[in-house]
Amino acid sequence: MKKFLLILLVLSVGFQGALMAQTRTVTGVVTGGDDGLGIPRVNITVKGTTRGQATDFDGNYSIEVSSGETLVYSFVGYVSQEILVGNQTTINVVLQPDYGQLDEVVVVGYGSQEKKEITSSVVSVKPEDFNKGNVSNPTQLLAGKVAGLSVTRPGGDPNGGFNIRLRGVSTFGANSSPLIVLDGVPGADLSNVDPNDIASIDVLKDGSAAAIYGARGSSGVILITTTKAGSEQGVTDISFGSFMSIDNKVLNKMEVLSADEFVSRGGTDFGSDTDWMDVITQTGLSYSTNASVSGSFGGTSYRASVNWRKNNGIIKGVDNERLNTRLNLNHSAIDDRLRLNVNLSLTNGEYNRKNNQLFRYAMIYNPTAPVYASDRLEQVGPYFQRDLFDFYNPEAIRKQQLFGGTSKTFLTTYRAEFDILENLTVSAQYTQDRFTGLNGEYYSRKDLQTGFGNRGIAQRTTDDRFTQIVTGTLNYSTTLSDDLNMTLLGGLEQQTRTYEGFGTRVRQFLFDEFTWNNLGAGAIRLGNQTNIYSYKSRDILNSAFFRANFNFQGAYFLSASVRSESFSGFGENEKTGYFPAISAGAELTEIADLGPVNSLKLRASYGITGALPPDSDLALPIFENGGRIDLDGDVTTTDDTYVAPSQQQNPNPELKWETKKEFNVGFDFALFDSKITGTVDYYQRNVEDLLFPITVPVGAPNPFDPGNFNTATTTWVNLADLKSGGFEFAASFNGVNLGPVMWTPSVNFTIYDKTQIESLSVTDGLGFEFIRPGGSAPGSPGQNDNATIENRVGSTLGNFWGPRLLSIDENGVWTLSAEIDEIDQFEIIGNGLPKGDFGWNNSFMYGNWDFSFFLRGSFGHDLFNSFRDFYENQDTGSNTWNSVVTDKTEYITSSPQFNDTHIEDATFIRLDNLQLGYNIPTRSEYLSNLRVYVAAQNVFTITNYTGIDPEVRWVDQEQSGDAIGAALTPGIERRDTYLPTRTFTIGFNVNIK
Amino acid sequence: MSRFNKSLCWFAALLLVVSACKEPEQEIFSGLTPEEVSNSDNPALIDVLKASAYQRIIGNWGGHGSLWSMQEIASDEMIIAQKGGDWFDGGLWLRMHRHQYNAQDGAIESGWNYCYTAIGDINLLLQQYPDVDALNAELRVLRALVYLWLIDSYGNVPIILETDTDPTPDTNSRQEVYDFIESSVLDNIASLTTDDTKTTLNQWSARMILAKLYLNAEIYTGTAQWSAAKTQIDMIVNNGPFSLESNFFAPFATNNSGSSENILTLPYDQNNAGGFNLAQMTGHYLTQFTFDLQEQPWNGYASLEEFYNAYEDADTRKNGFLEGPQYSSSGERLMDSSAEPDDPDGPALTFTPEINELEPNSFRQAGVRVGKFEIQSGAGQSLSNDWPLFRYGDLLLMKAEVEWKLGNDAAALDAINQVRTRAGVAALTTVDADILLAERGREMFAEGYRRSDLIRFGKYNEAWWEKEASDEFRNIFPIPQGQLDVNNGLTQNTGY
Repeated sequence: MKKFLLILLVLSVGFQGALMAQTRTVTGVVTGGDDGLGIPRVNITVKGTTRGQATDFDGNYSIEVSSGETLVYSFVGYVSQEILVGNQTTINVVLQPDYGQLDEVVVVGYGSQEKKEITSSVVSVKPEDFNKGNVSNPTQLLAGKVAGLSVTRPGGDPNGGFNIRLRGVSTFGANSSPLIVLDGVPGADLSNVDPNDIASIDVLKDGSAAAIYGARGSSGVILITTTKAGSEQGVTDISFGSFMSIDNKVLNKMEVLSADEFVSRGGTDFGSDTDWMDVITQTGLSYSTNASVSGSFGGTSYRASVNWRKNNGIIKGVDNERLNTRLNLNHSAIDDRLRLNVNLSLTNGEYNRKNNQLFRYAMIYNPTAPVYASDRLEQVGPYFQRDLFDFYNPEAIRKQQLFGGTSKTFLTTYRAEFDILENLTVSAQYTQDRFTGLNGEYYSRKDLQTGFGNRGIAQRTTDDRFTQIVTGTLNYSTTLSDDLNMTLLGGLEQQTRTYEGFGTRVRQFLFDEFTWNNLGAGAIRLGNQTNIYSYKSRDILNSAFFRANFNFQGAYFLSASVRSESFSGFGENEKTGYFPAISAGAELTEIADLGPVNSLKLRASYGITGALPPDSDLALPIFENGGRIDLDGDVTTTDDTYVAPSQQQNPNPELKWETKKEFNVGFDFALFDSKITGTVDYYQRNVEDLLFPITVPVGAPNPFDPGNFNTATTTWVNLADLKSGGFEFAASFNGVNLGPVMWTPSVNFTIYDKTQIESLSVTDGLGFEFIRPGGSAPGSPGQNDNATIENRVGSTLGNFWGPRLLSIDENGVWTLSAEIDEIDQFEIIGNGLPKGDFGWNNSFMYGNWDFSFFLRGSFGHDLFNSFRDFYENQDTGSNTWNSVVTDKTEYITSSPQFNDTHIEDATFIRLDNLQLGYNIPTRSEYLSNLRVYVAAQNVFTITNYTGIDPEVRWVDQEQSGDAIGAALTPGIERRDTYLPTRTFTIGFNVNIK
Repeated sequence: MSRFNKSLCWFAALLLVVSACKEPEQEIFSGLTPEEVSNSDNPALIDVLKASAYQRIIGNWGGHGSLWSMQEIASDEMIIAQKGGDWFDGGLWLRMHRHQYNAQDGAIESGWNYCYTAIGDINLLLQQYPDVDALNAELRVLRALVYLWLIDSYGNVPIILETDTDPTPDTNSRQEVYDFIESSVLDNIASLTTDDTKTTLNQWSARMILAKLYLNAEIYTGTAQWSAAKTQIDMIVNNGPFSLESNFFAPFATNNSGSSENILTLPYDQNNAGGFNLAQMTGHYLTQFTFDLQEQPWNGYASLEEFYNAYEDADTRKNGFLEGPQYSSSGERLMDSSAEPDDPDGPALTFTPEINELEPNSFRQAGVRVGKFEIQSGAGQSLSNDWPLFRYGDLLLMKAEVEWKLGNDAAALDAINQVRTRAGVAALTTVDADILLAERGREMFAEGYRRSDLIRFGKYNEAWWEKEASDEFRNIFPIPQGQLDVNNGLTQNTGY
């Protein structure tokens, strides 16, 4: 907060320095070149200042200006004009309609293209359309903004990651999030870029656009371009901004019994009255400050920025701090034929988290228990604790278990381009992408759940990822005839990724003071709750790619590309894959006059992309660490103790990439002088050779590796076929005049043809009719062995599958349609994948005010409400455990068991984002922009879902270590879900020149 | 650009072209290729590899959800009661106890995987080291031991040899599996040592495999082999280095590796060979404070009242249960503040033999617990007691049974009374099937043989507490559905 005030002080000093020059009044009318009518609300600014005016309803204006200044007339949908005032007193302006949103340049893989030439499904999002407020992750900027792109983070954990899915589920595996390409660096870590430094984000949605990224393109590609230097020669731009946010707990909809209700229900009474959620939560304060300086001199331009963020969660002690610095440096020489570019980004991160089981314990812990007690001070003090299964004081867990760490990411890219000829350019790029994480865990000696019996446990781990990428490309463009232009791109790329790390866990401490900072003080380093390990792996991906673009008469476009990928992790019999794509389009308005339609481009594309195996050593027979062998069985002699080598995975030398074939048709349109623009797409994708660890006849000969035997129960193979499709629509109305207010609505929605399982077979005898993932079981207590999801050939991925609740008698005993072991009678009772997503943005401008609100939602998806499954009942556990209260069911005395009433429709609409901003007019020659704003996120949600958060669960959070299992079990709201939060932000931005 | 710079650029470009067009090889840093393993000149390697094959069977024998769990819960000596939602787990353990298990049950599959993972490992070693005699004979007998479990639990299973190439091996009949076990042992026994190795197979434990096989031959093949069993048993009794410990609990102690009674053990060790989790599986949550355990126990496995009451009070073996009032290590009465209001014992933790019901609301304190294996004070999840797979006390009861079958009641009484005398109970004067089965029950509680014994004595299908009479096809478990799905060579057992 102090920082905030300081910055305000600096600003006010800046105002004092503002100078006034001699002025006079200029008047005029602004009309449209299309209809000759006056245009209301045209923005008229004095160039280089923040002074400005807007035209009235008839297009008239008047403004104070001095003769040496330049007026800038701008309005959405029209080409801006600049006019030097000189000695004119009346300036009438005719603005020409801007048909060419279409002249916009869109970043595609290994280059950029004019938007009008693009023949595949690509969406470009600019900063003005980004989500506002406390946004710390770049992909969060896009949530709801792009049809077909789903960005979700159930709950509000500031340390939680986002699940990103482009066009739904197209793979089970680890690579189900789109490939991130940051300034041309594929696979870069998102923590390398701060949202403040982003100039544009381009989303390659269909197979043909993504195919240039070959075996990493199956889940789509998101290209992030950072702001480059680029201001006028000799001018230095400085901008800074700051904001403060408060996070509040969203009203927790899962009500539990009050202490009185709990006691009268027969619960054990410990004599207090505690609201456990209140005990562990707080109002989370967050701060962010950013500053940048950019400019150019001679052939050199630069932009340097620094971004600092500190987020405090609503759970006391959960926080996240990040300091990111970035330098983009460009230099051109030899008459601009040689261009050099250096990007450096360095990020330091620090986090503290808590055991997410807190949420479950806070919900069900006995409401009559006090937080503190003195009866067991030496053992578990100062907290109240009782020794029961899965029953721990949430405040004790919060205070006595510590998790935290730091991270460093360092991304450097060096790039050189040289124009050998005017139309032939060679480029070379070298990238180092480095991530180092250092993590710690500590369980106090008094932590009843984990640390107590072990007398304290401490752990440190470090993980290091290092990626090097070398890319060389050759670009050639030529005119083949008067009507036909051709652009060719060829390139080679080598990516080497190295992963290394080590960790140690020890136990038995005399003091808690060290936490994880003195592992040497832990006396026991072997056996239960201890660990020592290190690892290293490296994989290499060699690629060659080629692309040709043709433009015939500016009306017909064709693009074709192919990429070859050789990956060290492919099996020896399948070392190289080829990923071709072709797309074509026609701009009909160039062919015929379509009246009010000023652009209509039809497109069709087909592309093949791939996905890499989740680990690079799955094809090989490898002996890893088996058991510790004490050869003489006498533990007092250790010179004969060794760790045995043991084959723990079944090799598959046939293992190769996953293949996705995608067909896309669509059209882009602009109507009424581009007042209305939009895009419509329909796609179909077929995924083949899906990578999957299948159950094999354990002990039997390995069919892929003659002479080997299955020593593990599963083998990674290219197994299943999936099919999915969808329809996407996006449109915006560029400026609707509502009197003095201008309204710009934009809407997008997607209707998914949910992912269907076409096959789960490799060959005869190796394959299945269905997979019921064990990980979909609700869990402990008592529901460890019953899968809740069935993935069956011919059905939708992730169907909930179980008995129906038929009736409940007066004693609270239920009748289910099938007993738990009558699985033949189980029915499909829901599905966690959405039928569709939508986003609806509205921005309003009024003078210097702007206001926007953004509604977002998903429909047609179900969620498994785990809280109800476990805690709606009143069984013997309920003497100590609290119960959730819902309107759906009475208290049930039957033991908790999964059934259809726990599956709920989770369709929702959410006011996701709201912002009010004011551009303060200044007359200072030093200030070009001064803006203050307030924003709110997650304002309200309308849904029938009774759980914590109706957000789509693409993956299961409890199986984060098993990407396949997590992807096969969508739609489960687990009991450890972090509480959703509502965020209010206040902030400002200043640009100084 | 200078000429030097230019040529440097061309050179760099050429380098990129050459390296980017190569098909890259995968390097391995944290593992070994099979060649690296077999090229090792470390003299300890073969012994380590052999011990590693044993570790596969050590792995999950003494843990929850293991083959052992199946043997115990399906018998009349143990249950896992449902305490409200706790321990329901899809009804798996209720079905196991009531003989309603089906091919989808997770435990059925993990028991199978446990056996065949070991077989895969053994076959891989045999295939890789065909010329190492020290490895060969012993691993073949070890494989026979695993098949002894398979023939007993699943009956008809595929025999997989190190020379086999069929990735979907066919089911073999129980008779074929029987013949394979027999010949595997007979062909290789001469190569085994006669030393009392205890943790690795020797001639004595190999004979024990045969003795167990012949003892159950009538069940496995329809043809009894009592005298063949007697031959093997007598060979061990008369010539082997084993004897009864004077203290019944010595073979189950934490430091039992030198016990003269144990013939073959799984050498569990809290640090080197984990997986023996019995204290966690059977203890009440508060049992943590009785033994100062590192982790809170799970309150699962308990014995049946009728089974517990089959012991005379004077029987020292009756101390092999945790029963009655429970205390902390410092002698304070343990209090369960959340005891069910209708539990007659109230909050003071008391393990009563009587269990109010199996499901759904068994009292959390109900049922006596397994105390036969010493629980070391301060133990973690894994105990260090070596698990006696074969021991001399068992052998004597097998001898008694075989002698009685062959009509030698005097010899049978001599054998059974050695065991009874050690337990502090009166010697018997007559012997019959019920007496033999009951004595086996009392002596062998929790050692994983009860199911097999009940079947051999024809009692497995009878009704007992919370279990109705079951069909005979239940005498072998179903082939797990997950394996049937991926191997069309398998045939499901009759009745499932």
